[in-house]
Amino acid sequence: MTSKTGIEDLLRELAPQVLGTLVRRYGQFDACEDAVQEASLAAGVQWTGGGVPANPRSWLVTVASRRLVDEWRSESARRRREATTAAMEVVPAPDQLPDRDDTLTLLFLCCHPALSVPSQLALTLRAVGGLTTGEIAKAFLVPEATMAQRISRAKQRIRDAGARFDLPPEQERAERLRVVLHVLYLVFNEGYAATAGPGVTRADLTTEAIRLTRLLHRLMPADGEVAGLLALMLLTDARRAARADEDGSLVPLAKQRRELWNLAQIDEGVSLVTETLGTTAIGPYQLQAAIAAIHDEAPTAETTDWPQILALYEVLERVSPGPVVTLNRAVAVAMVHGPRAGLAILGTLEDDDRMTHTHRLDAVRGHLLELAGDVDAARDAYRRAATRTASLPERRYLTLQAAGLEPAASPNLREE
Amino acid sequence: MKYMVMMFGDQATMMETRSLDWIKEMIEFMTQVDVDLKEWGEHVFDAGLADATQAKTVVIKDGIPVPTDGPFAESKESLAGYWIIDVEDESRALEFASKIVAFIEGPVEVRQVMDAPPEF
Repeated sequence: MTSKTGIEDLLRELAPQVLGTLVRRYGQFDACEDAVQEASLAAGVQWTGGGVPANPRSWLVTVASRRLVDEWRSESARRRREATTAAMEVVPAPDQLPDRDDTLTLLFLCCHPALSVPSQLALTLRAVGGLTTGEIAKAFLVPEATMAQRISRAKQRIRDAGARFDLPPEQERAERLRVVLHVLYLVFNEGYAATAGPGVTRADLTTEAIRLTRLLHRLMPADGEVAGLLALMLLTDARRAARADEDGSLVPLAKQRRELWNLAQIDEGVSLVTETLGTTAIGPYQLQAAIAAIHDEAPTAETTDWPQILALYEVLERVSPGPVVTLNRAVAVAMVHGPRAGLAILGTLEDDDRMTHTHRLDAVRGHLLELAGDVDAARDAYRRAATRTASLPERRYLTLQAAGLEPAASPNLREE
Repeated sequence: MKYMVMMFGDQATMMETRSLDWIKEMIEFMTQVDVDLKEWGEHVFDAGLADATQAKTVVIKDGIPVPTDGPFAESKESLAGYWIIDVEDESRALEFASKIVAFIEGPVEVRQVMDAPPEF
């Protein structure tokens, strides 16, 4: 007897394969996608009661095909088909390619550049991740009808863009892969950012992002950035349990209880980084993963190898420059050469337009000023950051930092 | 019946007038309020808003909509957060509002959310 979770896992693993088979056979990505979703829902009910069939994959293909044919028989669907078949021609002959894994093709299609980012996320989770519309809606905290509409419009866009069910041409592949990785990164972040909120856990999204990135890594084992992103996710998610305390307040890295970190995930992430670095072209995800690995391997905050982290940020800034990287480098500089050296680097971001709408510059400034013992300026910086952040847990953290630095606390003042 | 319960204020005023201990208690209080509402089966939705100083107000100038910096009202009188609750009657909504007011010592506005007409 297969458990309910076992059936769900199986269905989600099979969903993209079944969808690939159907699209190759019949074309019409959007109709096939609906049919697979319906077949999966039916399987969830029937298999739980009657057991999993001997060949679950062909069961799903058969049921989904039947749904598709039923759909075509209805008059309105026929009209729709006449209007759209031409737009979504598919290379046929599916049976000549029986073992081909279409998951990669699907992933590229769902992360099509014609789609808005929220649509890419939603469609990827449904068509590749095999999640139901209801589950996706819940994860993004929007009504199910809204999510259903978002997915349906995304499929419409793909059709309008004339996308084909094929891997992107070789010369576009690297750029398209960058979009896919970014989508997976955002799915992860959506879940990770929410885990600090009181009573709200959307850990499911981080788990799903890791599962999909693992899948992509299996399909493209030689790509260093895919491995890098997987490692980055594992090494970041490993700290999840320590990231917020019992009442949901944020706990900064330096104050986390490291015994709560997930050692198995750290091990896996570290081996991925070690195997990848130096064997393929270096990229931003690999470097960020390497930095995360150094944090995760330090038994205490005090023993963190900051010179090594600083060296990696210097490489990262050359490979993928940007104000956020500079901000992080400033922290590393402060830890190696003292807070004043870090603050000097922050000064170079002062006039950067990309920093004007974020609270992060002031949040880091507050931290470095506090380290430098400049209580009044630190308090002002924390206050400005608290006023500007759009994250409630972060606002609470910054407000408490500012309020904790009242002048009465100044006997603790120290010079670096 | 559904009500919208609204709280006002801004970050700067709070930082000038409240102590660290009060802020800590306030965070605990607000966290508990949401837990309680869910426990009572009366929670529909809640949202804290980013500080009013970050607001943009779109106004009409010479017939053209133009975004301007800042909130519609004064920052300290601007909406800071709200709950949508589903309760038996108005007195229950007012009871909930009173609980908030007793803690924050500032006014809370209670407005009924409009609904379809009754069947009979």
